[in-house]
Amino acid sequence: MATSKSIKRILIYAAVCIFLFVCVFPFAWVLTGSFHNVSQIMKGQVHWIPREPTLENYIPLFFSKMGIKNFPIYILNSLIIGCATAVLSSIVAALGGYGLSRYDFYGKDALSRMMLFIYVFPVVLLALPINDTMAWMRLVNSRLGIILIHTALAAPFCTWLLRSFFDSIPKEIEESAAVDGANKIQALMRIVLPLAAPGVLVAAVYSLVSSWGEYMFASILISSDSLKTLPLGIAMYTSEQYIEWGQMLGGTVLTFVPLLLIFMPLSKRFLQGFIEGAIK
Amino acid sequence: MDKKQLTGLLYLAPVLILIIAFFLYPSISIIKTSFYQTRYGINFTFVGLKNYRILFGDEVFHASLINSLIWTVTGLILQLTIPTGTALLLNQRFFGNTAARAAMLVPWITPSVIIAIMARWILEPELGMLNDVLLKIGLIHNPINFLGSLNAALPTLILTQTWQFIPFGTLLILAALQTIPRDLYDAMKVDGAGPFQLLRYLILPKIGPMIGFMVFLAFVWNFNVFDKIWLTTQGGPVNATMTLPVMVYKRAFKTFRLGQSSAVGTITVVGLIVLGIIYFKYLWKPIKQE
Repeated sequence: MATSKSIKRILIYAAVCIFLFVCVFPFAWVLTGSFHNVSQIMKGQVHWIPREPTLENYIPLFFSKMGIKNFPIYILNSLIIGCATAVLSSIVAALGGYGLSRYDFYGKDALSRMMLFIYVFPVVLLALPINDTMAWMRLVNSRLGIILIHTALAAPFCTWLLRSFFDSIPKEIEESAAVDGANKIQALMRIVLPLAAPGVLVAAVYSLVSSWGEYMFASILISSDSLKTLPLGIAMYTSEQYIEWGQMLGGTVLTFVPLLLIFMPLSKRFLQGFIEGAIK
Repeated sequence: MDKKQLTGLLYLAPVLILIIAFFLYPSISIIKTSFYQTRYGINFTFVGLKNYRILFGDEVFHASLINSLIWTVTGLILQLTIPTGTALLLNQRFFGNTAARAAMLVPWITPSVIIAIMARWILEPELGMLNDVLLKIGLIHNPINFLGSLNAALPTLILTQTWQFIPFGTLLILAALQTIPRDLYDAMKVDGAGPFQLLRYLILPKIGPMIGFMVFLAFVWNFNVFDKIWLTTQGGPVNATMTLPVMVYKRAFKTFRLGQSSAVGTITVVGLIVLGIIYFKYLWKPIKQE
């Protein structure tokens, strides 16, 4: 009896390991590949542990005038756009989520559903008119235009996410603050927001992550090389006949690793918020 | 409308303005454009239903429609069944490891560009590792051009898409499974319930709302894909991976048939609204009861 139980346990552990391996191996493979030299990569001689580890795929990204040139500028653009989107979208979503959670008005449930429902439409369908609107606002080929679009893409989802965060903060706390003479805005700023801070942080990080990886709108609206974001910068080189895989892998790793570092500490909270929003 | 209602709406104003400007207005705008013919975005001439007539005789449109259907339905089936299976397998006491859960979120948050580049490198016919492994273990004798051959391209992309969803889907179902108290299993087993009865009367009713939510999530996740397809195959070879979103993009920004692109868009939007209403009417309710 005892042995059959421990055999079962070993089998389950093995299944978990295989499953996790399938989830992460492509990332690990790209990471390993990026430390091989170009001739090894181009001959398909990549090993899990690089025989002669090298940084030759990374260094040219920053110093060379060949291949992916303005890489540091792409990083900077992605950072500016991502952070601005995170700030804007979490403000918009915190206000919206608070409104949905605390006030009763006609059509509230429909509005709440709409925050998710709009994601049914593939954004590529809307790209053409959005492009026109941007042209009308003279925001084509500008960071501000991209920031606005990225905010519009992330904010409704974050509003939906934050509503459940606000719902979990008891109304009585605010009411007692009102008794103490604080007005509505003061109560929101001093009492509710600090309590909802973890939720707002999740919203901000989600917005940053989605902006960091957004490709389509950036590709339509940005034409100057000096304004390109990371996805745009590296994708440019995938359309060419001869792909310089070495720098490509280096660029991929440098685009992806910062994202992981920002997201991982919050992954548990993100999942929690997501699931609460889904089942409640 | 009293003052309190107005204040509530005021809080929602910024997000509503964004939705109107970036979702609602564009949706109406493409419906309008679908009745016009343009040359490079200027000289709009009203042509009535001409764009639609052209589309119905257009092979690319037929291919996109069929591919979108295959893409979405197969994706949905795979992405609901596999995570349910893995979640049931992983629903063990020891599986509370935060690091493992964090690792399972990684594919989900990976930007499409990164997925596309990874897929292209790993699936490369000559230097990709997958062909290398398959050749070495003798499963195949000649390298497969996963993304470049007519028969393989669509299934390959569907599987890539599914691979990306499985860990996240598993986490969602696991979360639902963990709301079932252990004693309930034992109580039912004592009453003589087999694995099938457990699944039918205990597990499925409990994870039902989450699966309902995942239907929505996975549908959107699959149907809307554009950049992963564009950056791997551009809809090719010979329209083998051309889906409706890819066609909309290509007609609008590569061949500049704005009217036709908008007509495809309009047909898609109308179809999606119908599906959306059906979903929110019949599948969303059980979630609210939870």
